[in-house]
Amino acid sequence: MSLIRRHWLSVVAILVSFVVFVIPFIFIVLTAMKDKRQSALLDFSWPEKFQLWENIVDVITTRNWQLLTAFINSTILTVASVTLLVVFAAMVGFVLQRRRTRWNGLINFLILAGLMIPPAIVPTIWLLQAMGLFAKLHGLILIEVAYHLPFSILLYRAFIATIPKDLDEAAIIDGARPLDVFFRIIMPLLWPVTVTNIVVQSVTIFNDFTNPLYYLPGRGNETVQLTLYNFQSQFNTSYHLLFTNILLITIPPLIVFLFFNRQIVAGVTAGAVKG
Amino acid sequence: MAGLELKAIQKSYGAVEVIKGVNLEISHGEFVVFVGPSGCGKSTLLRMIAGLEDISAGELWIAGKKCNHVEPRDRGIAMVFQSYALYPHMTVYENFGFGLKLAKTPKDVRDRKIRDAARILQMEHLLDRKPSQLSGGQRQRVAIGRAIVRQPEVFLFDEPLSNLDAALRVDMRMELANLHRDLGSTMIYVTHDQVEAMTLADKIVVLNGGVVQQVGSPIELYQRPENLFVAGFIGSPKMNFTEVTIDSINGGQVTVSGADIQPTELSADTTGLGEGDTVTLGTRPHDLLADASGNISGHVSLVERLGNETNVSLKLRSGATWLVVLDGDRELRHGQELQLGIEDQKAMIFDAAGQARHMA
Ligand SMILES: Nc1ncnc2c1ncn2[C@@H]1O[C@H](COP(=O)(O)OP(=O)(O)O)[C@@H](O)[C@H]1O
Ligand SMILES: [Mg+2]
Repeated sequence: MSLIRRHWLSVVAILVSFVVFVIPFIFIVLTAMKDKRQSALLDFSWPEKFQLWENIVDVITTRNWQLLTAFINSTILTVASVTLLVVFAAMVGFVLQRRRTRWNGLINFLILAGLMIPPAIVPTIWLLQAMGLFAKLHGLILIEVAYHLPFSILLYRAFIATIPKDLDEAAIIDGARPLDVFFRIIMPLLWPVTVTNIVVQSVTIFNDFTNPLYYLPGRGNETVQLTLYNFQSQFNTSYHLLFTNILLITIPPLIVFLFFNRQIVAGVTAGAVKG
Repeated sequence: MAGLELKAIQKSYGAVEVIKGVNLEISHGEFVVFVGPSGCGKSTLLRMIAGLEDISAGELWIAGKKCNHVEPRDRGIAMVFQSYALYPHMTVYENFGFGLKLAKTPKDVRDRKIRDAARILQMEHLLDRKPSQLSGGQRQRVAIGRAIVRQPEVFLFDEPLSNLDAALRVDMRMELANLHRDLGSTMIYVTHDQVEAMTLADKIVVLNGGVVQQVGSPIELYQRPENLFVAGFIGSPKMNFTEVTIDSINGGQVTVSGADIQPTELSADTTGLGEGDTVTLGTRPHDLLADASGNISGHVSLVERLGNETNVSLKLRSGATWLVVLDGDRELRHGQELQLGIEDQKAMIFDAAGQARHMA
């Protein structure tokens, strides 16, 4: 009895996460193994015939190996955007936190505005077209950076506030120039937030569907989420291939997460016991 | 030679003036202590010397060079912070070597200097540790080591010992004194603790409200404080004060009396004083002695018997409480009446403006 009373909350939590996360994933995996006929039923059943490998080959070679192009595009997009995000957000957060000027209020307002005001698609497209960035991968990189910058800045600024200013000053006395202070003292201490930021932003950007859809049209410009369209149409959807595709594009974020997960935990506890 | 000169240095934050025109000369190799109550601007003054705060007005000269707008790294200074400010992600070795690395010192030279500093501070065995793996005293040493490695002309310390416990503080104080003797560099040390100031300094600068009250050697400040503030601030336990009126003036001698004190003759600089003026009399707890025919009397309100001496709180007639330190062990009861005399006229007179009237 007491065992139930003590652990019921954990059991509920495990059950809920099982229903929310694991069951859909199992559904994806099972459907990805089925053939076209059985998958069209969209039910939770055991595959009659396992053809995962055929499905994978089908998906990858569709439309002249489009999925590979998409993977390359998405990877470039994610890596470049997240790198720029981390560097810019940390720098802006550092300057905003450390240097008090009368512009701070305005800048903070702009950051909050960026967080709250929904992006206006059509004017943004006009602007991109005018600058020759529309339907260009680097244009989309700038878009992703712009959309995700406010949140990252807030994250960094809050964390930088916990780093004593004495450290900056000690470094300045030691002969550090502003960039030395930032890259040699502040940035290393920001590692726990940086990891969090990398994980959150890279998963979001990798899985982004709408922004590539709006800002990166055209052949050879597909990102992974857009390849899902290859197998859906109004009259005929190949669910087995669609789910195989989903399975394939879920793997990279999963790897990122598993790789950094331990670091997140390690970073958090290191901060906690530092004293 | 790295002397310093401060000429009418001022600092304001907006409309608030924090440092109100400080003039000071510090010669090479001196150990100078800035002392004063919390918030009087000691740290601000030190940080201006370091180059961490802009100088609002006035001139700062270090080693014969005007340094108002010189970058901290080019001033030939090193600073030890109250919070130590060690780089948490670096080992002790890296903490020591950070400045040299930035200065692109060759690796072998760097290594030698780091190990030299570690030897001076006896922490060679701790070089591979991170700051989080060190005790408070060891962290303090790392902070000092980081300064030593840079071989600065001027060391700046901002309350470096205030985070240590009492016993360790005494040890570190001695180590700092030894360090100063061994290195022979100029050191400027900020503290609010007048005992630290008295024990370490060649020269003490007493600050209050952003104004220099007095500059002098510890003994000078103790024996000839220039004003009421310095008299009250320097010396432990604190000087006792009472208001008195001048009864008569005779050359360098005045006779004063007041609610708490029978007519008493003292030597003082009497220029500008007249009979009937109200002045303040100050005398140190150690300069009072039990004397049945003494001029001061009061009731004992608290007794601390330490064996070699006895601390007595004495409630005087005016309601003021004086602290008296009597030689040897005394059995005194609470409420008992006690007569005191002043030893060898060791009392000071302060005029209405608070200026001391010492004999020339
Ligand atoms: N950045 C600042 N803005 C406004 N006032 C300040 C600032 N820094 C210090 N002060 C004020 O200057 C005075 C002196 O401070 P400080 O030099 O730190 O005193 P302390 O003698 O205790 O070291 C204090 O009254 C403090 O409130
Ligand atoms: Mg201070």
